[in-house]
Amino acid sequence: MAEKRYAMVIDVRRCISCFACSVACKAEMKVPLEVFATWLKIVEKGQDPNAQRFVLPRLCNNCGNPICTRNCPTRATWQREDGIVLVDQHRCIGCKYCIASCPYDVRYVNPLKNLVQKCYWCHHRLDAGLVPACVETCPTRALTFGDVNDPKSEVSKLLATSATQVLKKEMQTEPFVYYIGADEVAMSNVEEEINYYTESTLIKIRI
Amino acid sequence: MEQPDINVVYNVKHQLPLIIYIGQYFFFTGLSAGSFVISVIATLLGRKEFKPIGKITAILAPILLIIAPLNLIADLEQPLRFWHLFLYYNWTSPITYGSFLLTAYPIMGIIYAIMVYTNRQTAAKILGILGIPLAISVHGYTGFILALAKARALWNTAAMPTIFLVSAMVSGIGLVVIVAAIRWKWFDKKATPEQREQDKRLILQLAQFMAYTIMLDLFLVVSDILVLLTAHSDALEAGMLILTGNFAPLFVGVEIILGALIPMVLVLGPTRKSLTAAVVASILVNIGVYAMRFVMVIGGQTIPLS
Repeated sequence: MAEKRYAMVIDVRRCISCFACSVACKAEMKVPLEVFATWLKIVEKGQDPNAQRFVLPRLCNNCGNPICTRNCPTRATWQREDGIVLVDQHRCIGCKYCIASCPYDVRYVNPLKNLVQKCYWCHHRLDAGLVPACVETCPTRALTFGDVNDPKSEVSKLLATSATQVLKKEMQTEPFVYYIGADEVAMSNVEEEINYYTESTLIKIRI
Repeated sequence: MEQPDINVVYNVKHQLPLIIYIGQYFFFTGLSAGSFVISVIATLLGRKEFKPIGKITAILAPILLIIAPLNLIADLEQPLRFWHLFLYYNWTSPITYGSFLLTAYPIMGIIYAIMVYTNRQTAAKILGILGIPLAISVHGYTGFILALAKARALWNTAAMPTIFLVSAMVSGIGLVVIVAAIRWKWFDKKATPEQREQDKRLILQLAQFMAYTIMLDLFLVVSDILVLLTAHSDALEAGMLILTGNFAPLFVGVEIILGALIPMVLVLGPTRKSLTAAVVASILVNIGVYAMRFVMVIGGQTIPLS
């Protein structure tokens, strides 16, 4: 039996953009206001009568070759054998170099604790035999979580039978969050021209 | 086929991780490394007329390098945990190299300054030769901090450490010119007229040397941008951001025109015999290099990642 390596497969075709994953994450991981560990990116194509919306659930990829653990100066960011990248909250000095290095913008500074945090794929729930809170709560079962080294697991089957994509493959980070049916524009970085929820998009430039 | 309109309806962006403190830190280490190299060159040449400059720069380098890391600690979210850098080092992180280099270099700089001021020439020369690689790595590693953060297209280029080193030389020489001119104007009254003339010539020579390093800097910046413009789409976006986008006034206006072209004309043009022009050029150069640090650190992070 090979070692465990967790992965997530997100079937974007099933996502109804209800934000339940984001809410469950906030409740489970006590993510403060202003920051998010899981969220949905929604992109609209075309003009009003023919506009189409495309959604992309976003969370930490818990990469196979993470740049954050390589660049962390204090080894506060480390990777478990099952692939989950954690941040040691007692060791992190808050230099934010991991945030600057991460190509996915999934790390954040907890404004209450002044520490860097991220999505840990709810490792405390995994250790208790449960699945992450977002996977548990997703009403359309768009999120699937499991061990890729176990050929009988649901993720292995999905990965073997569907066309999947990962975010920014060219970054050589080996992301372990796979998308099925994600839109190419939603997966790339697009300049924001019109924003309907301006207050929600938290661009804070501290200078 | 025409591309459909694309609007981002909802997305989350977290705040910029590295802020102006980091740019300021790069600026101060650059000044320190530049003035240290000038000091060692003056000591190694050993000519009597270089002595004042060698002394000024020997004292500037450690002072600046004591100010610089304060910026880093101020930027930490947990400043009281800075000692974790030494206890829990990670050899794959450029910040770890930096934390050790930033400890070794000021100590060496202080010993070197003592040697220069007590006129122990041989010891000063040996320490200077040993110190140059240290000074170069203290500033070169800051370029690696940006270059190895691979997410940001503006930073992730092989030219970044060299650009940082050369702009450090530019700003360091600029600072030396300013300080040497202040000394010449107000604290050099006892010297004979010939000596004063000699000192002035030396300052003007330094200013000309600065103009040549500006040329090298401009060459590196232009080559970096040309490659950015022909590389992948994120790099193109980064290049356009500093050429025509939000950071164009700072980059083209302040860094290139005010901080490089105008000083070059002032120092090499018809005003090349004037000390005032050399000092004005040095001030402009330092403003330009500060703008460069700002554009690199802040501008590099404003390109959306998702």
